[in-house]
Amino acid sequence: MSDTVKLSLRQFTILILLYSVGTTILVIPAPLAADARQDAWLAAIAGWLLGLVVVALYVSLARLFPGMTFTAFLELTFGKWLGKLLALPFIFFSFIGSSIVLYYLGNFMTTEIMPETPIEAFALLFAALLVMGLRLGLEVLARTAEILFPWFILLFTVLALFLTPEIDSQKVLPILEFGMKPIIWPALNFACTASLPLYVFLMVYPVSFQHKKKAGNAFFTGVLIGGIFVVIVTFLSITILGVELSAENLYPSYALAKKINIGNFIQRVEILMAGMWFLTIFFKAAFYAYGFITGIAQLCGCKDYRPLVLPCGMIIVASSFVVYPSVAAMSEFESTVYIPFAITVGFLLPLLIYMAGLVKKRINHQELQGAGTDD
Amino acid sequence: MDNNMPQAEPIKVKLQPNIDKIRKDLGNSDDIVIREIAFGVARAAIIYTDGLADKKMITDFILETPDQTTERDNLLEALKELAQKLGDYKEITNFQEIYSSILSGGTVLLLDGCSRGVSASTQGWKDRSISEPISQVVVRGPQEGFTETLRTNTSMIRRKIKNPNLWVETRQIGKVTKTDVAIMYINGIVNGKVVKEVRKRLDKINIDGILESGYIEELIQDETYSPFPTVNNSERPDSVAAALLEGRVAILVDGTPFVLIVPTLFISFFQTAEDYYQRADISTLLRMIRFISLFIAMVGPALYIGITTFHQELLPTQLLISLAAQREGVPFPAFIEALLMEITFEILREAGIRMPRPIGQAVSIVGTLVIGQAAVEAGIVSASMVIVVAITAISSFVITGYSMAISVRMLRFVIMGLAAAFGVFGIVVALIALVMHLCSLRSFGVPYMSPFAPFIPDDHKDTIFRLPHWAMTSRPRLISQRNIIREQMSRPAKPQK
Repeated sequence: MSDTVKLSLRQFTILILLYSVGTTILVIPAPLAADARQDAWLAAIAGWLLGLVVVALYVSLARLFPGMTFTAFLELTFGKWLGKLLALPFIFFSFIGSSIVLYYLGNFMTTEIMPETPIEAFALLFAALLVMGLRLGLEVLARTAEILFPWFILLFTVLALFLTPEIDSQKVLPILEFGMKPIIWPALNFACTASLPLYVFLMVYPVSFQHKKKAGNAFFTGVLIGGIFVVIVTFLSITILGVELSAENLYPSYALAKKINIGNFIQRVEILMAGMWFLTIFFKAAFYAYGFITGIAQLCGCKDYRPLVLPCGMIIVASSFVVYPSVAAMSEFESTVYIPFAITVGFLLPLLIYMAGLVKKRINHQELQGAGTDD
Repeated sequence: MDNNMPQAEPIKVKLQPNIDKIRKDLGNSDDIVIREIAFGVARAAIIYTDGLADKKMITDFILETPDQTTERDNLLEALKELAQKLGDYKEITNFQEIYSSILSGGTVLLLDGCSRGVSASTQGWKDRSISEPISQVVVRGPQEGFTETLRTNTSMIRRKIKNPNLWVETRQIGKVTKTDVAIMYINGIVNGKVVKEVRKRLDKINIDGILESGYIEELIQDETYSPFPTVNNSERPDSVAAALLEGRVAILVDGTPFVLIVPTLFISFFQTAEDYYQRADISTLLRMIRFISLFIAMVGPALYIGITTFHQELLPTQLLISLAAQREGVPFPAFIEALLMEITFEILREAGIRMPRPIGQAVSIVGTLVIGQAAVEAGIVSASMVIVVAITAISSFVITGYSMAISVRMLRFVIMGLAAAFGVFGIVVALIALVMHLCSLRSFGVPYMSPFAPFIPDDHKDTIFRLPHWAMTSRPRLISQRNIIREQMSRPAKPQK
């Protein structure tokens, strides 16, 4: 991966934003409402702030290896084989992540919009789009995000604005009925869905912004603004659909969009609103897949990741059909396995690697200094 | 050509072998005129192409041939002196020069006993006079368009930009046709890298003939496998002058009024010359209408197919009932219906363009009316589909760049197919793919979608909005990288209080 793609800070912020909004915006109100009840929006805020801690870790981790991808850094710090071994969980998580996102999309389409179309058709079409995007490269993806971002904002504003008349603020009361405790788990869930997968940007960010401190701020800004969108959607979901409906719906945001009604003329525009989710899901899937494919390329020592895009894309499609045997298995996995899994890969491992990296850097530094005094 | 005719052969001393060789090489063509005259003490030959050279000038020249007294040694000098009266002249020594001179309208003078000749430029062929540009009509603005003659075209641009920094480079491209191709740019404003790149790409061209600038366009464009044009063309000297002032390069090809402009951005195809002659607010409104038209022209039928096939809930109940009633007698699914109408329309349009002008318009209008009306009454298509197709068609005419409009027409069918299979999801996928493709394009190193992506706030003065001239203080950043400042911010003059 010798080609260094230069992204602008604006592009990077937008990518982070779209990625962290990703699938989160479509699904998160359900598990939050199930656990935190009417305080789901508070849980969302807590999770959002928690995400910033994670980002702080990623940014400081990235400062250790300017100009390198994460996996290259691992190989440099821990040696070739241990480094490759340590890269495996990240690559695996990206792989599972991209399959899950494809599954989400297909499942969303078949359950909510077009029940008669086989799920494979959606996965294939969307994967073709992913393959096209990844083959064109990071720069093109970033520019695409730049052009599509205003459309996302437009659709979101329309959604939020047209839903305001429906808000029933009584539904959020009583606030913190059972104290802070029930909020913690859903907040973790939020951070796991929205912020922890951001580690894939460690494959992008240190390479594209070698000496720019501002890039760290862009990372934070992206997560901050992205979080606002999700918090708003969670709040709308609780105040409009109510706790029960939000918790039971697989895709509460979609149910929310169905509520739009302007003068009995503009109504049931949920499919147009879904355009917004297709956009964010595309970027989520694209960067999961990017993490997976560049990781594989690094493992195999390929100079360019592009030849791997098509085969890896095919593998992702195939695994998206089997990653969840059923919707029940999906909710089981999400409520039990996913959170520890994400925390391990997205937080604990990076933390360990960060500390190891720091120690190694200090040792190197001392060695250098020692060598200097000997002469 | 070059290998079977040793053209670089030097001119012989004797006149007669020279004349014989010229006759033989040019296949005794009737339009090549060789007149032998007495020039002082020696014989001389005047060679030119009938129809390309100005006959009157040549006749005048022959009448002025010197008397017998001129010495034999000074004959060539005398010849040159005379040639000066004809216009620019140069000394020539070989046959290649002879042929290139006479075949481009010059006259060659050969002397007996002298291995050098003189070629004078006596170009005087018939060409079309300057007339209104047909493809880019304006209500307000200059009404002159380029012609088929390269010199006339360069002079029209020079008349607009009277600046010593307006430079012209000419070269001949086409091994057989030897077509003159000129590059024009304003030195100091243009990005030197782009000029170098244009030169490089033009020099690489290895083709037998260039008959229109479309040949050049296809040979120098960045991306062949793209429906989108990355080279713009214009028939209007004012548009080309404006492009030069922004730091672009114009490529003029002899024999066509269409001048190429590079680098070209996506946005170029939505700007017309008139935008800059009208008030800024009106221009901005028109620009927005063009973008809306682009959207309708591209996804209009697709949205109709998608919504009536998969997302009926989107429609208000009354509209849905009336649509259902219309579609009751129609035997086809919406996609087939739309495809039928779109293809019919494209056929009509193509017929309208290709037919002799007097019949063309009448046939296309009558055809559309009759086919639309009759098709609805016969129950083959629904009336609403005719409306959708008509709006789409009109919208595609609004897109100012003709080459862009064609690509939109083409893409429409792809998006219709996706909408028929996947509804709105298919449309969104198609649009994302389209945006990605657009973002991957470059025109002579400049990202095609700039200033949208990469986003350049300063360059948005002339995209969807057209700010007043006093506010357009800078040139497009990525096109003219050297000399950005166009003018100092100057508020319009206001009456003193």
